[in-house]
Amino acid sequence: MKEFNSLEDILDFAINEEQMAADFYTALAEKMEHQEMKDTFEQYALEEIGHRAKLEAIKNGKEYKVSEEKVADLKIGDYLVDVDTEKTNITYQEALTIAMKKEKAAFKLYNDLAAAASDSASRDMFLMLAQEEAKHKLRFEVEYDNNILTEN
Amino acid sequence: MERSEEYIKNERKKEWRVELQKKTKAKDRMAIERVKMSEQDPNERIKSQRIEVNKGLSAEQAVQEAMRCMDCVNPTCMEGCPVSINIPKFIKNIERGEFGKAASVLKETSALPAVCGRVCPQEVQCEQKCFYVEKLNQPSVAIGYLERFAADWERESGEIAVPECAESNGIKVAVIGSGPSGLSFAGDMAKLGYDVTVFEALHEIGGVLKYGIPEFRLPNAVVDVEIDNLRNMGVKFITNYIVGQTATLEDLKGEGFKAFYVGSGAGLPRFMNIPGENANGILSSNEYLTRVNLMGADSEDSDTPVLRGKNVVVVGGGNTAMDSVRTAKRLGAENAMIVYRRSEEEMPARVEEVHHAKQEGVEFLTLTNPIEYIADENGRVKQVKVQKMELGEPDASGRRRPIPMEGSEYTIDATVVVVAVGVSPNPLIPNSVEGLEVSKWGTIEVVKDKMQSSIPEVFAGGDIVRGGATVILAMGDGRKAAANMDTYLKEKYLSKKVEQ
Ligand SMILES: Cc1cc2nc3c(=O)[nH]c(=O)nc-3n(C[C@H](O)[C@H](O)[C@H](O)COP(=O)(O)OP(=O)(O)OC[C@H]3O[C@@H](n4cnc5c(N)ncnc54)[C@H](O)[C@@H]3O)c2cc1C
Ligand code: SF4
Repeated sequence: MKEFNSLEDILDFAINEEQMAADFYTALAEKMEHQEMKDTFEQYALEEIGHRAKLEAIKNGKEYKVSEEKVADLKIGDYLVDVDTEKTNITYQEALTIAMKKEKAAFKLYNDLAAAASDSASRDMFLMLAQEEAKHKLRFEVEYDNNILTEN
Repeated sequence: MERSEEYIKNERKKEWRVELQKKTKAKDRMAIERVKMSEQDPNERIKSQRIEVNKGLSAEQAVQEAMRCMDCVNPTCMEGCPVSINIPKFIKNIERGEFGKAASVLKETSALPAVCGRVCPQEVQCEQKCFYVEKLNQPSVAIGYLERFAADWERESGEIAVPECAESNGIKVAVIGSGPSGLSFAGDMAKLGYDVTVFEALHEIGGVLKYGIPEFRLPNAVVDVEIDNLRNMGVKFITNYIVGQTATLEDLKGEGFKAFYVGSGAGLPRFMNIPGENANGILSSNEYLTRVNLMGADSEDSDTPVLRGKNVVVVGGGNTAMDSVRTAKRLGAENAMIVYRRSEEEMPARVEEVHHAKQEGVEFLTLTNPIEYIADENGRVKQVKVQKMELGEPDASGRRRPIPMEGSEYTIDATVVVVAVGVSPNPLIPNSVEGLEVSKWGTIEVVKDKMQSSIPEVFAGGDIVRGGATVILAMGDGRKAAANMDTYLKEKYLSKKVEQ
């Protein structure tokens, strides 16, 4: 597992992760055949950049806290098969699946890092990051639940 | 059709209405029990896909039920109707025995009342808003049954008048798709004097009304009468013609079509994307129902073993799921089962369909979700792994969403699985027409209430604009589009400024 020497180290890592996610979506956007899916992935990239900005603010001294509130986990993405991100005609259902799975993976990563953290300040930092990712995931899950799982 | 409050009030003050209002006291009206629809016996009806379950009301029953209606000063039922049918006016016509007039009132706003009377989700529309429900906490007036009665009476009496059509203006318009949306559009445009051609990809006219909704709910004969009516009005139908494939919109323009109405529906089945979903024996409700309804796979001599199975599992909770599971019963399934991830209250299916399904012996596994399909050595599905769900805390929107209960997994035997978890718009037109604005859901973007797309001569409505919706909304869109396209075409080609 990666070694972190300071809280700043942790934040740098997380900021880089958000940037990588943004780049991933931008690349997908470029590849898509249809404009509406280009727009969708560009929107997702923007959201990741928003997350990055939030973390940068913390790095620059903005206060943060780990709230007690448990973010709901609808676990929708957990049971879905992976989407082939090589193809150029991804549907909106698949776009949401990609996003749910990505956020879940990030959430798990920070949760694992929190469990392995040696001091409480790092643990809190990881928990805060995990919670952020859980919120991002929930946003995609709710959209999936409302619009894809209409069962009608 | 826009209706002013004043118009409704004045109608209510017509002499014949006042007379009826006086004739029976409110107290006596309220004392009448809501009519019960007579139904085919469940054990008999499951022997055939083609026996209609609801038998309809007799004239006596209809008049009696119509008497329950209070002819409210403020008829809240109308607010619940997506096309604002003048409900008390048609019901009171039934009460006075003028059944043909009742049908005419329906036709002022609904192109297909015999269809809507059978398939509209009345319990969440007009009937939910009825005075009886809102103020008395009693069963509503059976508006849907009465609608069906009046429309059927007109059809069976053979007294359907072909609506008068304006003199032909020679302008050719094309309709893509012959579902309720396309049909209602075609009817209105023919009345306005346009030269209307409907292009349909399938070999049958009617869209979901034919290939989706089974005859035990909506007999084809009911739809065919409406189609014949359109033919008599001069509407041309061309089947087996896929616009975007057989010919493009540009080709059709070359043939002289000046404007288009896209009513191509949402016929693209959605799947869950869980492991094993491409095993043999797992099919979409769309394919399943089409094979039975359009290709006669229910007949004894049909060679379609893939559809018949001992254990049929249908995934979903909407009308499509109910139609599929009840079809499975009729094809001889010993166990026909609904698996639905939410609770029964949240099922989007019409309440009556759920009730009928239960009568027919369909099993319901609610708060249960498939997570994997297990196939045998030949790649054919044999089991569904499901997981129990529980409802989470209400979220910001107040909705309690289902959450999987880990460790609750178990398997169900399945010979056939029908996936009915939703539909997406048919992608051909949205993808093939240059310059057409499309949403991320694949629906065509239109100016609300005008139904005009980003290409001025292309209008669209129904499921291709809304995603999976309802017959009445699809029909309402067709009518709005016709009114607006008429304005557009007259201004453009007949240089007639049309008063809005
Ligand atoms: C099984 C089932 C049961 C339902 N039950 C109910 C119910 O009880 N009550 C209710 O209100 N709603 C119900 N619905 C929903 C309702 O049927 C739809 O909302 C409605 O039919 C939409 O009408 P539409 O005209 O937009 O499209 P559709 O009815 O889908 O018709 C579209 C037509 O366009 C054709 N088409 C598509 N692309 C092309 C092309 N490129 N060229 C030519 N033709 C094309 C299709 O073949 C189809 O015939 C049900 C749906 C299903 C599937
Ligand atoms: S609300 Fe009910 S009682 Fe009142 S006019 Fe409508 S159908 Fe009749």
